[in-house]
Amino acid sequence: MVISTGYFILLGACCNGKPPEPYKPEPYKIKIPFGFPTRLNIPGDNPMTVEGVRLGRYLFYDERLSGRTNPDSMMSCATCHVQKNSFEAGIDNPRFPGGFVHGIRGKQTHHVMLPMINLVWNFEGYGWNGYLYPDNPDPLKRNLEDMVREAVLSPVEIAGDTNQIKELFQNIKGYPRLFAEAFGSNKITFKNIERAIAQFIRTLISANSKFDKYMRGEVQLSQSELNGYVLFTTEEGADCFHCHGGFGNPLFTTNLFYNHGMDSVFNDPQDRFAVTGDPMDHGAYKAPTLRNIELTGPYMHDGRYNTLEQVVDFYSHGLIKTKYTDPLMHHINTNGVQLTPQEKTDLINFIKTLRDDDFLTNPEFSKPDKFPDDF
Amino acid sequence: MKLIQNKSHFNYLTPVWALLVFLIATSSSCNKTKAPETGGKMIIIFQHSVGDQELETDTMKYVNAAGNPYLVSEIQYFISDVCLHTSGGDSILLTKWEDIHYVDTDIPETLQYNLADSIPEGDYSYISFTFGINEEKNKSLMFVNPPESYMFWPEYLGGGYHYMKLNGKWKDNNGVITPFNFHLGIGQTYDSAGNITGFIQNYFRVVLPQSSFSIKNGQVVEVILNMDVNQWFEDPEIFDFNVWGGDIMQKQEAMHIGCMNGHNVFSISELSILLLE
Repeated sequence: MVISTGYFILLGACCNGKPPEPYKPEPYKIKIPFGFPTRLNIPGDNPMTVEGVRLGRYLFYDERLSGRTNPDSMMSCATCHVQKNSFEAGIDNPRFPGGFVHGIRGKQTHHVMLPMINLVWNFEGYGWNGYLYPDNPDPLKRNLEDMVREAVLSPVEIAGDTNQIKELFQNIKGYPRLFAEAFGSNKITFKNIERAIAQFIRTLISANSKFDKYMRGEVQLSQSELNGYVLFTTEEGADCFHCHGGFGNPLFTTNLFYNHGMDSVFNDPQDRFAVTGDPMDHGAYKAPTLRNIELTGPYMHDGRYNTLEQVVDFYSHGLIKTKYTDPLMHHINTNGVQLTPQEKTDLINFIKTLRDDDFLTNPEFSKPDKFPDDF
Repeated sequence: MKLIQNKSHFNYLTPVWALLVFLIATSSSCNKTKAPETGGKMIIIFQHSVGDQELETDTMKYVNAAGNPYLVSEIQYFISDVCLHTSGGDSILLTKWEDIHYVDTDIPETLQYNLADSIPEGDYSYISFTFGINEEKNKSLMFVNPPESYMFWPEYLGGGYHYMKLNGKWKDNNGVITPFNFHLGIGQTYDSAGNITGFIQNYFRVVLPQSSFSIKNGQVVEVILNMDVNQWFEDPEIFDFNVWGGDIMQKQEAMHIGCMNGHNVFSISELSILLLE
């Protein structure tokens, strides 16, 4: 009797007389779009929940993620990852001219941005050289959670301090409760910040472009777009599909890495060779998704091209052959696929069918109307 | 869109070869008898060689029968419908999931194929399988997960999946190193204007020579299966990259030579009977 009384007194003392809410997050189920992979890259220690995704969306957009409140030094993921540009900065970004992003200290990142869409299906490695991959012997470089941490701490990105960030959010009304709902504790840890943002990023799925609707039989492509599709998926045409997917691979990327004939000198310390040590990986980089590509310039790992026309010209006439050139670039001896002007137009018109306006305006991915301060 | 040149340099269906193809096709056809739940098991381990040398990738050290020096970067392919044949003419098709197996020289896990079916006790005179995927099963979006999904064959060219991607480089007659993508899959026929008029199923049955074995309940037959890359370019028809070029997905005559030669690409390095643990 004394013990049970003491138990209830203790319970009352810590919970204001009410029993504690049980930690019961609601699983977040990703709906697999037509033709998309069913295997998802979700680590076992960060299952997706409605509460986690919700919290992650706030954190993604909250500029106090930098750990600072001075307007000059506030920065969030969304500062660079802009929804209307498929979560890239965009070539017309007023803060980042030409789409070349720099961190809070003004220093430009080593490579330009990669699209932040459909990442939940990427098992091959994140980054232009895939340095974040599931089997990395370094446990701090395996998944999106690690990418979040790196971005927040990197001196060329948000340049934050973990202790400062935790303390700041711990003292913002509303956030501790959101963390408790998502992770079972109102004590904010940086690990849970990583997890929440990674969960949100995994929900960024683009799968309702004009081409997707064509795949589902809902719309027809124009003749030019169809011509471009044929060029895209034939070896005698532009032969894009081996690396950039198509009907049978609607991710429009293999997420793999190729030396595709851009350069003759390879001195980038962050190419694919830097990760694998395989000599054949000199000058190799990830083949990014072509979904929403018309909005995600500048193009290539160093942003050397501003327009899709320049990119197509490169593949048509500008390839440079070295011993590291990937064998899939089998038009290398003619410097490219040698498209006619009309073929180039058709190809670009097809590529533009991969634009997904629903994704670009989906309010579930947009900046919240208000932040937890007001809860 | 460039017109595809119609090359007709080879009279590849001589009566003798036609008879051989017929005999192989009919003798290796598999009935639908399914394997029982008890019995033995089969494991296939895939190896790759060039002649009698173990395949070394990205090294220009090989020469094919046409005299093309070449290197291999990677090989990816499907085998399916593994079938066991008895001397009495019976056969068992091993169909349990997975009945289509993907092999990739860059993915070590794919080099071992543990067939799920149980094999009834008895004596078997040979093993056969389909190289590629037959038309009944070779449907687009059958695989949605990589790496198999990356083998998709474009809808415009017939759909389904590549049977094989054999990628590398060869040195042409002028000493210029040129990439090749020796890709096999559904072929097309074209009219004189370059329009596709039909599709051709290029998959084929492979009968493994010297593949007889006896098995009891609780045993495992381990088959070490070797692909000799040179054979793709050699027997019965010499395949010359200088004639066909580096890309053949839209050249049915070239793919046909590959598929004819493919009957002789595989052999068994070793066949062992082990105890099931």
